[in-house]
Amino acid sequence: MTPGTLFRLARAGTRADTARVALTALSAALATLAGLAALTVLAIPTPPATDGNSVRWSLQYTNGLLREPGLRGGLAFALVLLVVPVLGLAGQCARLGAPARDRRLAALRLAGATPHQVTRIAAAETGLASLLGTVGGLAVFLAGRRLLHRPGPDGRLPLPTDVHPAPPAVLAVALGLPLLAAVVTAVLLRRVTTTPFGMVRRARTRAPWPWPGLLILVGLALFAAFRPVGLWYERRHAEPPPWLLPTLLILGALAAMVGVIAGTGWLSHAAGRLLHRYGRRPAALLAARRLTTDPWAGSRTFAALLAALIFGAGAAGIRADFLATIELNHRTGAGMAGSDSFYLGAMDLVDLAVAVSVAIAGGGLLVAVVEGIVTRRRAYAALVATGVPRATIGRSLLWQSLAPAVPAIGLALAVGYLLVRGVFPAPAGGGYPQEVCDAGERLCGDPATRARYTRTEWVPEVTVPPHVPWEQLAWFAAAGLAAVLLTVGVGLLFLRASTTVEELRTT
Amino acid sequence: MSFLQARGVVRAYGRTPALRGVTLDVAEGEILAVTGPSGCGKSTLLHCLAGILRPDAGQVTWRGERIDEWSESARSRLRRTEFGVLFQFGQLVAELTAAENVALPLLLAGTGRREARTAALTWLERLGVAEVADAPPGEMSGGQQQRCALARALVTEPRVLFADEPTGALDTLTGEQVLTQLVRLAREQRTTVVLVTHEPRIAAYADREVTLRDGTVDRSGLGLDAPLPGGHR
Amino acid sequence: MNSDAVSTQHVLLGLLARGPRHGYELKRAHDERLPRARPLAFGQVYATLARLERDGLVVPAGQAREGGPDRTSYALTGEGRAALDRWLATVEPPMPYVASTLFAKVVVALMVADVERARGYLIAQRRAHTERLRELTAVKTAPAAGLDDVIAADFAIAHLDADLRWLHTTLERVADWHREVHS
Repeated sequence: MTPGTLFRLARAGTRADTARVALTALSAALATLAGLAALTVLAIPTPPATDGNSVRWSLQYTNGLLREPGLRGGLAFALVLLVVPVLGLAGQCARLGAPARDRRLAALRLAGATPHQVTRIAAAETGLASLLGTVGGLAVFLAGRRLLHRPGPDGRLPLPTDVHPAPPAVLAVALGLPLLAAVVTAVLLRRVTTTPFGMVRRARTRAPWPWPGLLILVGLALFAAFRPVGLWYERRHAEPPPWLLPTLLILGALAAMVGVIAGTGWLSHAAGRLLHRYGRRPAALLAARRLTTDPWAGSRTFAALLAALIFGAGAAGIRADFLATIELNHRTGAGMAGSDSFYLGAMDLVDLAVAVSVAIAGGGLLVAVVEGIVTRRRAYAALVATGVPRATIGRSLLWQSLAPAVPAIGLALAVGYLLVRGVFPAPAGGGYPQEVCDAGERLCGDPATRARYTRTEWVPEVTVPPHVPWEQLAWFAAAGLAAVLLTVGVGLLFLRASTTVEELRTT
Repeated sequence: MSFLQARGVVRAYGRTPALRGVTLDVAEGEILAVTGPSGCGKSTLLHCLAGILRPDAGQVTWRGERIDEWSESARSRLRRTEFGVLFQFGQLVAELTAAENVALPLLLAGTGRREARTAALTWLERLGVAEVADAPPGEMSGGQQQRCALARALVTEPRVLFADEPTGALDTLTGEQVLTQLVRLAREQRTTVVLVTHEPRIAAYADREVTLRDGTVDRSGLGLDAPLPGGHR
Repeated sequence: MNSDAVSTQHVLLGLLARGPRHGYELKRAHDERLPRARPLAFGQVYATLARLERDGLVVPAGQAREGGPDRTSYALTGEGRAALDRWLATVEPPMPYVASTLFAKVVVALMVADVERARGYLIAQRRAHTERLRELTAVKTAPAAGLDDVIAADFAIAHLDADLRWLHTTLERVADWHREVHS
């Protein structure tokens, strides 16, 4: 197959295909922007310590998040975090118009194309669309760098527009994302290419195993091991290898995330079984069977949302820890009051990132819900024709979304919070003597008089267990549920159009 | 009182007219074939008679009541209580088992799960497909699926059964077996049948035949349209 | 010589292949073996036997007098057996026997009458066919229908269906055809 033929066949498609290509390109562009922003932040050099700047801040920036070397890693991480829901959106978009594409690819197979060739055609489509997106994202990034380079009157910059991310890293993002997208497409297409007749039959599937629970436990254990491992080295007056502790956290977060997302498949199946046993109405029966037939649909649909909620709950846990530390400092009289509000401000930024993630994940959710309805339009139209009220179908869609979403959201929030609790112990302080001088600035400041007015007080040992941030977690849960409800609501608008009698005419 | 009738029914899809004023009477207990070449409007007429589509003009009356003026939900209720509908293919819910598919109309009517399942099994038995009761449609043959769909259409013991090319997707022998069962059961239960088909051999299962041509009833006698050589579609 | 006569000759040759028989026996055996065919007249049996004897395919094999008229029994010759084998080995050209009258009538109607009359005939014929089709279908769907009834009905239905398709196509073509014939 020549590249020309490959390109021609990859482009032959319907309007749904065009929409999918456009959305794929858009998600790729968004992911590129987020990735490049993270790389730029990481490219900010840390100046050598000087007398006036012993903490090695990058003073050319107005924003504290950019100045402090210790915070830049977190900022870059938050930016990369934004890529997760964007990739989720891209994954959902890949499913858009999938039945039509599956049929087209199946037709290519019947025309004599090998499974390998068909996979290459589809992968080429996704890869090219993503490349379009990354190139566009790169262009927007470069233009944005130039446009936003606005030094203030004191010469300070609001954004790190004075540094370039390393060219190899930029290249890796611009080429790696399309490559990744193409590989994912090839993996997702395994089912279609195995048979030239496309996926027309649905047989009974086996119930999923509860192995994701094990993954979640592994993730929690890795996080909980963070402190003991550090202490173990400390007791031996040794430094842990620099890769060890970050690896613990990254592996733990990955395991927990994959566990929660895959666990949604098990939750869907279990919810379906319960609904089937106890549901009385036809809507519950329809939803129950859908859930048990394809339990992984929930995993695919909610993946981005759940990932965002895990991070959100983690952030809530960190905020609770900050608040507990502040409380402790108040009680023991230690710490710097000024930095408290700064850290809380940084947490607000993280919360914002989570909110944006939930919104983007909601977009992916919508695509999935609409796609599910459009795929089943013939069966739905036939049901409506035989007198099944549209409201019944709508209720079944609601059941089908909420039954797995409610426990999955709860699970995601619990896991996210518990991960953080595993790393941070309850802040404790006190248990030591402290010199107190309460004779005023002049007397205490003078070394000659100071000793006379100084007394030693015993600061009692205090542990401030952080409050479980119920309110914030509830907000996240509400936001997640609202995203689900909203998307189902919008999906129901498509239900009417998809159940017109015209759908029965298309054979 | 008339049973089911259409009076000057007009219906278009966008700017393409499908029915240009069809008047037709369906008598209680009869098996009526509606025939005609592709695109003559026979499926549209069935949809109008069954209250699935609302005509643009004209009337559809059921036992003297104008169902074309009824609300969507009222017509929905009529379709799932008094009417049964059978299409060419693809009407079963892919995720439900055969028995659940058949029980669905009963569940919608508020029948208990156990009772609905018993009735569904009885009907599957009667149509000779009891062995696939707990299989999803994906695991059934075309003939089994269509028998299952017929069971679903008849489980509420409807007054009228609307069948739109019910054997169009089946081979000749299976199609004839399904039709034979349909006709026998309809006569047994005194169910009226409106059968849409383009094949004279299928239309011969009816007591009476009405032919449509270009959206109107063909009264020239030219009507009785046979299909192109080679049979269905 | 029409195909009907040809097949009668060969059926008689076939019946004689099992041993010599006289005319009356041949008629009885024929009617027994082919129950739905038109019954064979005695005259036709003797005429056919005479033709077969003339062509050297059968020979008289003896006389029997059993309190009635003379009865000559006939036997197959070697040539007769060869003719029978040739006939059995030949594939019949697929010719629709039933439709031939129908076909001839339509052609003649188009030659001697106007289009409307030809159409009128076709429509009437099609109605008759449809009626018969419905009758036979009713035989099939009757709850008491046995396998014999269904198979017999199927055979007739398949032929009627073929005729109906032909009638339909012909109706559509009549106008063009008429123009061609009269040009």
